[in-house]
Amino acid sequence: MSLYGTASGGRASNYEYVIARVRSRRASLFDDDDYRKLVRMGTSEIARFMEETEYETEMNALGARYSGSDLVEYALNRNLAKHFDDLLEWSEGALYNYIARYLRKFDAWNVKTVIRGLYAGADLSAIEDDFIRAGEFSEQRVDALRNAGSIEEVVESLDDTIFGASLAEAYEVYEEQQVLVPLENAVDRAFYETLLDGLPSNPERDSATGLYVQFLRAEVDFRNLRNALRLARSGAETDPAEYYIDGGKLFDQQSLTQLTANMDNLVATVRDSTYGDDLDSALSALEDAGSLVEFERALDAALLEYADKLSTRYPLSVCPVLSYILAKEREVDNIRAIARGREAGLSPDEIEQELVIL
Amino acid sequence: MIETIAPVVNAVLQEGTAAAPAIPPSAAAALAVGLAALGSGYAERGIGAAAVGAVAEDDSMFGRGLILTVLPETLVILALVVVFVV
Repeated sequence: MSLYGTASGGRASNYEYVIARVRSRRASLFDDDDYRKLVRMGTSEIARFMEETEYETEMNALGARYSGSDLVEYALNRNLAKHFDDLLEWSEGALYNYIARYLRKFDAWNVKTVIRGLYAGADLSAIEDDFIRAGEFSEQRVDALRNAGSIEEVVESLDDTIFGASLAEAYEVYEEQQVLVPLENAVDRAFYETLLDGLPSNPERDSATGLYVQFLRAEVDFRNLRNALRLARSGAETDPAEYYIDGGKLFDQQSLTQLTANMDNLVATVRDSTYGDDLDSALSALEDAGSLVEFERALDAALLEYADKLSTRYPLSVCPVLSYILAKEREVDNIRAIARGREAGLSPDEIEQELVIL
Repeated sequence: MIETIAPVVNAVLQEGTAAAPAIPPSAAAALAVGLAALGSGYAERGIGAAAVGAVAEDDSMFGRGLILTVLPETLVILALVVVFVV
């Protein structure tokens, strides 16, 4: 079954090895002090700072072609891809399966990048630089994607992947309407649907697998919540059910549609749910100031904290890997926010508010 | 089935009165050492994998990794005492 890759062919998982390496890498991520320093630097200083850290190889490789915050961003992406590819390379058996499941979101990212690039008529190298080669797709497949001449070719080349069926369907809609939304939705939907597919639907609550499933559900819930909040805030005349992702436990399709109509009800529902405690302060902020950005950052922080908690509770499971993946993603987001913020001339305080730091 | 075996076993056991036990002491001691070695081998498998992972990330972990990897070896050493006791 090509869906889960061949590397998992019935072998036992090697948790010990992967987790020792992952923990070491988790420890060497940037900490508060580094961020505090970075926030006060200019873009070129940030680039120089990064040359002396973990990101040295990528900065040197890309330094000739880019400068400023573009350089920082592409170096970050490449580094992220390198680390996450390592994870897939090390892990075996069920562990591989668990990790690949989550990392497929970068496959989704790449597919969307290509589709957008083709739609906007961007040139090949621009598309290639935006790739994050961290997902399960092989090098050849990503190269084939890049070389595709039209969106139709992209859809065809993804025929045998998880995105195949839904993309083919969406392509017909795209041909009629000539807008990208159905294609992008199809990609996201395919990713989130396979996220929970094939995992035990009712695992023991207190086992590592159970918590992993719980975590993925939380991810789906938060995604739904974000979509609902955005729709509720923007007041757009879109049917929320169209963006609903199955598998979470917070909403079902109908309740989501009803709640989106009324912001206060939505917040109240979340407060009464299992996530209420973690999101309490964020929800208050949302009610008072109505700041969606702040709330979304609180969601990220809550997810990160939850993953950290899991990783200490179940040291020999997929949880530490998950916590590393999230932490690394946040680091990349943070540094990008700093670089872009400095470029745009934001003050250190303003930028610090944009960061997700535990 | 078990009921039928019991008298047979009894008969066999009663037959040799000066009987040597099925496993003589030295063989039992050897077994004890062997089983202990198996156990520590299994323990070292996980620790070794983790240690190699740690060393791959950070060379200075080599000494500590080595010590932690051979710690379960004490099981075998303790089991070796049995050989001298018997």
